[in-house]
Amino acid sequence: MTGGQDSGPGNRAARWLGGAARGSGGSLRRDLALVRQGRDWRGRARPPRGLPAEQDAARAPFRTAWARSAPAALARDALRTGVLKPLLWAHARPVVTGREHLAGLRGPVVFVANHASHLDTPLILGALPGPVAARTTVGAAADHFFASRLTGVTTALLFNAFPVDRRGDRETGRRGHGAGLATRLIDSGWSVLLFPEGSRSRDGWMGWFRLGAARLCLDAGVPAVPVAVRGTFAALPPGDALPRRDPAPISVRFGRPVVARPDETAPAFRDRMMREVNALWAESDVGWYGALRGAVEAADTPPTPAAAPPADGVRRAARWRRVWESTRPTERPGRRRVWGGPAPTWPRQRGAGSGAADGARGGARRS
Amino acid sequence: MSRPGLVLEVDERTPPLLVCEGEGFRLEQLPHGARVVYPPACLPGIRDLDAAITRALHQPHGSDPLPALLRPGMRLTIVFDDLSLPLPPMRSPDIRQRIIEHVLELAAAHRVDDVELIAANALHRRMTPAELRHVVGDRVFRSFFPRHLRNHDAEDQENLLHLGQTGHGEDVEINRRAAESDLIVYVNITLVAMNGGSKSVSVGLASYRSLRHHHNVDTLRGSRSFNDPARSAMHHSYDRMQDLIGGQVRVFTIETALNNDAFPQPLGFLSKREWEWNAADQAAFIGARRGSRLLSPALRRRAFHRVAAPWGVTSVAAGAPSAVHPITLRHVHRQQVTPVSGQADVGVFGVPYLCPYNVNSVMNPILVASMGLGYLFNMYLNKPIVRRGGVGIFYHPLPNEFHTVHHPSYLDFYEDVLTQSTDPAVVESKFEEQFATDPWYVHLYRRSYAYHGVHPFYMWYWCAHAREHLGDVIFVGADPAVASRLGFRAASTLADALQLASHTVGGSPEITYLHAPPLTLADVS
Repeated sequence: MTGGQDSGPGNRAARWLGGAARGSGGSLRRDLALVRQGRDWRGRARPPRGLPAEQDAARAPFRTAWARSAPAALARDALRTGVLKPLLWAHARPVVTGREHLAGLRGPVVFVANHASHLDTPLILGALPGPVAARTTVGAAADHFFASRLTGVTTALLFNAFPVDRRGDRETGRRGHGAGLATRLIDSGWSVLLFPEGSRSRDGWMGWFRLGAARLCLDAGVPAVPVAVRGTFAALPPGDALPRRDPAPISVRFGRPVVARPDETAPAFRDRMMREVNALWAESDVGWYGALRGAVEAADTPPTPAAAPPADGVRRAARWRRVWESTRPTERPGRRRVWGGPAPTWPRQRGAGSGAADGARGGARRS
Repeated sequence: MSRPGLVLEVDERTPPLLVCEGEGFRLEQLPHGARVVYPPACLPGIRDLDAAITRALHQPHGSDPLPALLRPGMRLTIVFDDLSLPLPPMRSPDIRQRIIEHVLELAAAHRVDDVELIAANALHRRMTPAELRHVVGDRVFRSFFPRHLRNHDAEDQENLLHLGQTGHGEDVEINRRAAESDLIVYVNITLVAMNGGSKSVSVGLASYRSLRHHHNVDTLRGSRSFNDPARSAMHHSYDRMQDLIGGQVRVFTIETALNNDAFPQPLGFLSKREWEWNAADQAAFIGARRGSRLLSPALRRRAFHRVAAPWGVTSVAAGAPSAVHPITLRHVHRQQVTPVSGQADVGVFGVPYLCPYNVNSVMNPILVASMGLGYLFNMYLNKPIVRRGGVGIFYHPLPNEFHTVHHPSYLDFYEDVLTQSTDPAVVESKFEEQFATDPWYVHLYRRSYAYHGVHPFYMWYWCAHAREHLGDVIFVGADPAVASRLGFRAASTLADALQLASHTVGGSPEITYLHAPPLTLADVS
């Protein structure tokens, strides 16, 4: 158990040695600062990340059934269409593609998306057709969004969210709180938006998917709709409170619904979902066909999150290089037009997004 | 169902963690990646204790029911654990009082007249009348004190009886009254796995002649740990002695196990996990920490020692010691055991204000060492939480303070013995006999309220296993002169301690903090 590795807890301890001594101080201010550290204004601390779900049983699950009632839905619709979406679209001007895949949906689905920013949820919900968005609930981290009543109520009302215990799952198969609720919601006809990475990416790069979303699809017998969001990491990365004033181009891509095969296991289906999201994510760089080719080749090997070109070799690179790639402008929206509508791009084509990929799929439009 | 034990890896969300340091505590920000061992959540106590006691007495294990053992004209001796258990002392009514009252009800019903109550204090200081009253309750105290309710006197040669030697040549000498009784009823509190079982009678009622066979450096170094009776050479010796005692006098033992409800409000935060502290807990922490600093040392000590714990009883079992103790241990483990994967390079321990030998007294430097390197270090099964050659970091200010009434031989041990050697084996061979037989210490033990002259040696031996196992011992916040006298090093902060430790374990140590209170027994694989 001796240390000596380049990374890991021991090394973190070594780095910490260089920091200021803490806890030994004698002043009241120091004591107060230590007591307050990591707690909200009411003195509540979020449970440590490593805390198993069963150890946090003291906390009662946050009830969100009210948020799916008709009055709440009315209020949500007013807030979303009247305030949130206009502000967000005016600021971020996202390019939305692949909505045609949603036209044929009958019944609930599970939207699975990569996650790099708090902008992802309002963007995806805003990009969904109105009737679909109105019947979509969002799985949100219980320990983050539902740790306090204020944020819990706001999140549930605004995004029709329900708490998901993200400390369950991983590869062990152990399920966190919220898995049962998600199944019940789907049984009741609600679609569910999940971010299977479990947390926002710290470098903009897509991380490994947990099993929960795949298992939910298998249990409920519903398809998964892959969604790739790009550019939000550059616009509002984790740690920032407000979006950047001049955000990088943002895109939301919906893929074709993916249905689990009869004999497919949850890990296998999870891998397939990852490849689909990965391919969508890479479309901006290599085009639709290139992404398809990449996905086919990747099908023979275990999925490598966000390993599609041009990330070859980048995923194992230093963090700054991953951040660098994640914040690289992908689509040039061109000069902003006063009267709205799609920005003209090369080749000029009304209603088309930029690049060969969008041209090939012919679906990019600002909604 | 109660939450199981927890090994938490410190991350950026983990709030600063509580660490005890004598009559105070601090919040310490441990390095990310350090592991913290918490015990299972506090188990619920038995709601109807009287019914549980009655059931235990009437449905014992490996013995006839107690009423069947009682008859007119018999000699009945009720022996009970002394003030060293539990820690902190139990809020009235003490569980011993409840059990003794039940036993006496049965004895009265069976017209038993010859009843004596003896505190099993071995070489500990005598309990004061007030302390006895607290443990046995007012009704028992008034009925039996002083003639028939007393402390065991390990130096009263006329009232000791040598029962013989074990197969290993160990002398067994215990209290004569108990040894010549028709029945010994032993009332026990098993706070940690070391307590109870064969230890109760063979240690609690023994003399120095008997105790020296297991309270020595060799035996303690061979007890890994002494909280794991199956692997404890000390407990093997107890077992041999109990076998001999059991062959000559009938022992009916009543054992109890406690939960981890060790502190009343507003000190309840001491037993809670830090991220679950509410605003009241935080205010109580600030109030207790700052408030205690405003008090003089004497007042502060008095305030801490007035704490009476609301302990809940999780098990009451009675019968033959060998049949009862496994049941009690199971309940102790259920409350205290946390599985831990692998040993660390550095073990961190916070030494609290109280150990078994400073109830209503001062925790002098030798007791601090014994609490840290003895009791806390030995809170393990299988392997210590620190690897061999690793570093133990302990928190305590180590003031140069002694209680002159309770610990006279400790003071001399500190001044005269430790200045010559800190090696337990050297200390044992050169000085133990002299202190154990010193007439002045014997007199103070018998007539005053002093611990026996040999007691500081035992406390020093208590550290022998840890001293042999650890590559370095560092006390954070300690008086450097005192730490140096004990053979340890002092550091002002954890960062300094880790810096010192880096010479032994390198700059990237794995760290494990045994969070106490509440009591945690690490099962290290």
